[in-house]
Amino acid sequence: MSVLDWVVLVGTLLFIVVFGIYRTRGKQDMDSYLKGGYSFRWWTVGLSVMATQASAITFLSTPGEAFENGMGFVQFYLGLPLAMIVLSITFIPIYYRLKVYTAYEFLENRFDIKTRLLAAFLFLVQRGLAAGITIFAPSIILSTILGWRLSVTTLIIGVVVIIYTVSGGTKAVSQTQKQQMAVMLGGMIVAVFVILNLLPQDVSFGDAIDVAGYMGKLDIINLEFSLSDRYNIWSGIAGGFFLQLAYFGTDQSQVQRYLTGQSITQSRLGLIMNGLLKVPMQFLILMVGILVFVFYQFYQPPLFFIEKGQESVVQSEYAGQWEQLDQQHQQVFEEKRENIQALLNQIEQGDEVAVAGTRQRIMALEEETQDLKAQAREVVTQANPNNETEDADYVFLTFVMRYFPQGMVGLLLAVIFSAAMSSTASELNALGTTTTIDFYRRTIRPDASDGHYLRMSRWFILSWGIIAIIFASLASLADNLIEFVNLVGSLFYGTILGIFLTAFYIRHVRAKATFWAALVAEGIVLLLFLFFRDQIGYLWYNFIGCALMVLIGLLLQAVLSRTSNS
Amino acid sequence: MDTDNRPPLFSSWNGWYVLVASVLIFLLIFFYWLTQSYA
Repeated sequence: MSVLDWVVLVGTLLFIVVFGIYRTRGKQDMDSYLKGGYSFRWWTVGLSVMATQASAITFLSTPGEAFENGMGFVQFYLGLPLAMIVLSITFIPIYYRLKVYTAYEFLENRFDIKTRLLAAFLFLVQRGLAAGITIFAPSIILSTILGWRLSVTTLIIGVVVIIYTVSGGTKAVSQTQKQQMAVMLGGMIVAVFVILNLLPQDVSFGDAIDVAGYMGKLDIINLEFSLSDRYNIWSGIAGGFFLQLAYFGTDQSQVQRYLTGQSITQSRLGLIMNGLLKVPMQFLILMVGILVFVFYQFYQPPLFFIEKGQESVVQSEYAGQWEQLDQQHQQVFEEKRENIQALLNQIEQGDEVAVAGTRQRIMALEEETQDLKAQAREVVTQANPNNETEDADYVFLTFVMRYFPQGMVGLLLAVIFSAAMSSTASELNALGTTTTIDFYRRTIRPDASDGHYLRMSRWFILSWGIIAIIFASLASLADNLIEFVNLVGSLFYGTILGIFLTAFYIRHVRAKATFWAALVAEGIVLLLFLFFRDQIGYLWYNFIGCALMVLIGLLLQAVLSRTSNS
Repeated sequence: MDTDNRPPLFSSWNGWYVLVASVLIFLLIFFYWLTQSYA
């Protein structure tokens, strides 16, 4: 990395953190430390909500997903705008009326302490694990590409976030997220222009879209209904709606963000902003991946995107096999490039028959490329079974490091570090708040002073930060940890959402029925996962858990009412 | 905490909700058109 890149990276990150701490300096009470003192306008609320959801993996994996599988992933977010409407109508007014610190306080108000603690406990387990992964996942990629030690990237992200989250609380988190989100969005827009500029002179944006389209990368909407499909319009709208409703409505890391709004109006507008911008933002990030894909149709891409893995093969007994694969890969690339150039000429001439024929040839060559890449992955594993083989997450950053001009590399790295910090800060802030309010204040020290709870909040946030760093450091020891954490989220969100929906909309269902329904619904979801994990896509667990919780709650309440009447 | 609950620009919050739903429908149509263009 050049000196200019270092200046841009360090300067951007330092400015955001120092500015955030400076803007939130001064004496604080519990209200301002945990809820931001109801002080923010809608744009800060909206940007804070968006920055919380956009983790570093969003900016590393999403372009890689588009590069590998096209734009279909955008369907995952189609339920989000509808969820924002429901949250604005139902959740926000109730949280504001009750003046809650956490979403789980509302559950005690509506049901009983058992239900509140159950939901708060599930949140702590799930989000506590996720906070470690939010730091670990980008750290492993950044350390591999930059050649830094994993502990260095983990500590940079973790320690900086702890400093400003502990010192400034919710206000500092929201304030820094505004800047971080500006860097993220600005950085991705700049990335689009830089990539377009890197394409060959005679290839316009329209040509790039044509290449991507004819190579099947713009198959965005999949109308076929299938439970096992990862992304289709039905799982995106129905499953995605329930997932986003659960995440934004019942996950404290999000609830805490929009409770910083000056009023119900400001919070609602913040969520509406998220509903309007989220899908286009994801589309933009996917488009970056598509443009990188198009770029690599004109310039030779590496056979395998993780340099470390490639080096370990070259130094092993498989070096000869690798060279052979690499040569074949280059030949296929050259042939494909000539055909793509021909395709663009045929499109310009309007020769549809020729276009169809050339497209077929390109697709056959693309299949050959994928086949060679699969063989390369096998060789990488043979050379060292511990080598990472899924290189999609490395595509974008490798591209940035190789081709972006000086200064821009620093900016893109600032985007990724900002994203990692913004989501981690919200998580630590929420974990500390829930531990203080739902457990410490409610069950251990109910009569302490405001100042005491403020001090304890700082200690809890610090403790969760240290746990997250330790967890992130140990994460590399377990292969399936990331998958495990994602799974835990999907398996529990539905039931938690069911509890909240029952609380909001089904007034006659009481505490006892809700608590037992939650346990039974969760049990069924876990059984379904154990026996049908290959048949049911993970998004559907959110819907199934929620539907089961509501239906069992209704049934149990009917039985309990009849028993008490008789 | 400010107790103001009125929506800006529209006479009721329903106006904002219709806007969000309309943008989603527009995006769906756009994505479908893009998909079909190269099908």
